[in-house]
Amino acid sequence: MPGLAEIVETKELVQTVVFAFIAGVGVTAIFSVAIWGVARFVDLSQEDRPVAATAAAAIATLSLLVVMAAVVIGVIVMTSK
Amino acid sequence: MNARRLGYLFRAVSSDVILVIVIGAALAFDFTNGFHDTANVVATSISTGAARPQVAIAAASLLNFAGAFISISVAATVANDVVDAAVITPTIVFAGLIGAISWNLVTWYFGLPSSSSHALIGGVVGSAVAASGFQVVLAEGLIGKVLIPAIIAPLLAFVAAGASIGLAYRVIGKQRPGIVSRGFKYGQVLSGGMLALAHGTNDAQKTMGVITLALIANGSLGAGSNPPIWVIASSAAAIALGTYSGGWRIIKTTGTKIIKMDAAQGFTSQGAGAAVILASTHFGFPLSTTHVINGGVMGAGAAKRLSAVRWGVAGNIVTAWVLTLPAAAAIGAATYGVTSIFGSGAVGPVVVTVAALGGIGAAFVRRAQRGAPVPVQSG
Repeated sequence: MPGLAEIVETKELVQTVVFAFIAGVGVTAIFSVAIWGVARFVDLSQEDRPVAATAAAAIATLSLLVVMAAVVIGVIVMTSK
Repeated sequence: MNARRLGYLFRAVSSDVILVIVIGAALAFDFTNGFHDTANVVATSISTGAARPQVAIAAASLLNFAGAFISISVAATVANDVVDAAVITPTIVFAGLIGAISWNLVTWYFGLPSSSSHALIGGVVGSAVAASGFQVVLAEGLIGKVLIPAIIAPLLAFVAAGASIGLAYRVIGKQRPGIVSRGFKYGQVLSGGMLALAHGTNDAQKTMGVITLALIANGSLGAGSNPPIWVIASSAAAIALGTYSGGWRIIKTTGTKIIKMDAAQGFTSQGAGAAVILASTHFGFPLSTTHVINGGVMGAGAAKRLSAVRWGVAGNIVTAWVLTLPAAAAIGAATYGVTSIFGSGAVGPVVVTVAALGGIGAAFVRRAQRGAPVPVQSG
């Protein structure tokens, strides 16, 4: 009967934990930045500050693109094995 | 000569009849899995108002179907790493499936979101042990690929969802609640979709694995084979149909009784759950998607306010989780005992199937007569 350390596929388990944590927390963080950007864009537009509003919109757009890219990469990685 | 030939023909036909019953039972299990797990996949989207129930369920069933095609790692684990395929017979697989389906229906009846995956693995292990003793269990696969990930995954979802919601609230700060809520509701379209995809890929593969195991046991496939495309397609269709049929009473438990969620919590719990399930699926770990999703929901609630989580309900769910493996194993073992009374042919599985269908029919009629969902104690 092998020991627990031999039975558990530690490397794959650690990779699962790390990838899942980074993906779960990372995507939420970046999506939150996107929402922050949209909220700031609305406020700054109403305050008539077009440059700052544009910057906020750019941050929101970039963040959304990163989130979409993360999702696409995730699905590609899944299908590649 | 003629008698020998007749005997051979009878055994071959009998074996094929059992195989057909096993495949039918596996697809029925897959259907009940989708039926049982609808709540896990869509409850957060519905409870936060991100999606209408009909839309959320239709989208989830489509994504369940698509998800079943994106990986076969989990199917390979179930088929080759849990029990010794060399000594498994189609009758053993059949008895295991009956154990899993029975336990799924019991927990569905009482509105408890237990694990279909653990029910399946428990059922197959129980019937295999009843047939051939404990030496048939592959301890390395069962412990290393099923039990340890089963403990880690929901905790990981809990921690990831908790960390995510903390970070999200910090980033958003004091922005307008209306915009923030709308934003996360839109986000839930994505996170809910990913969760449905993840659910389809991990859960449908367990059925693929069991059918593949039965095909190997019957000699229709070689040892170590991957599931054929017709197995993948039929498993995908069964889980998608089950999800579409939906388990409304469990939606109530998962979506509103564990915690009352805002859209940000819904997004983070779904995102964390999807990330954990997809990463685990990639490495071939047959997880309980129910455990993971509920772990994410509790993490998102506990990070905001510990008292927001109704721990009494959570405790009931944990009790169901703990009971699932041994209960399904016991039913699987008992079912094998009953089928073996009728010998090694097709008579046993046929008798048990007829009895099971009668029992299921009676349960549905009884539930229809009772009308309102069975309340889950919030103790």
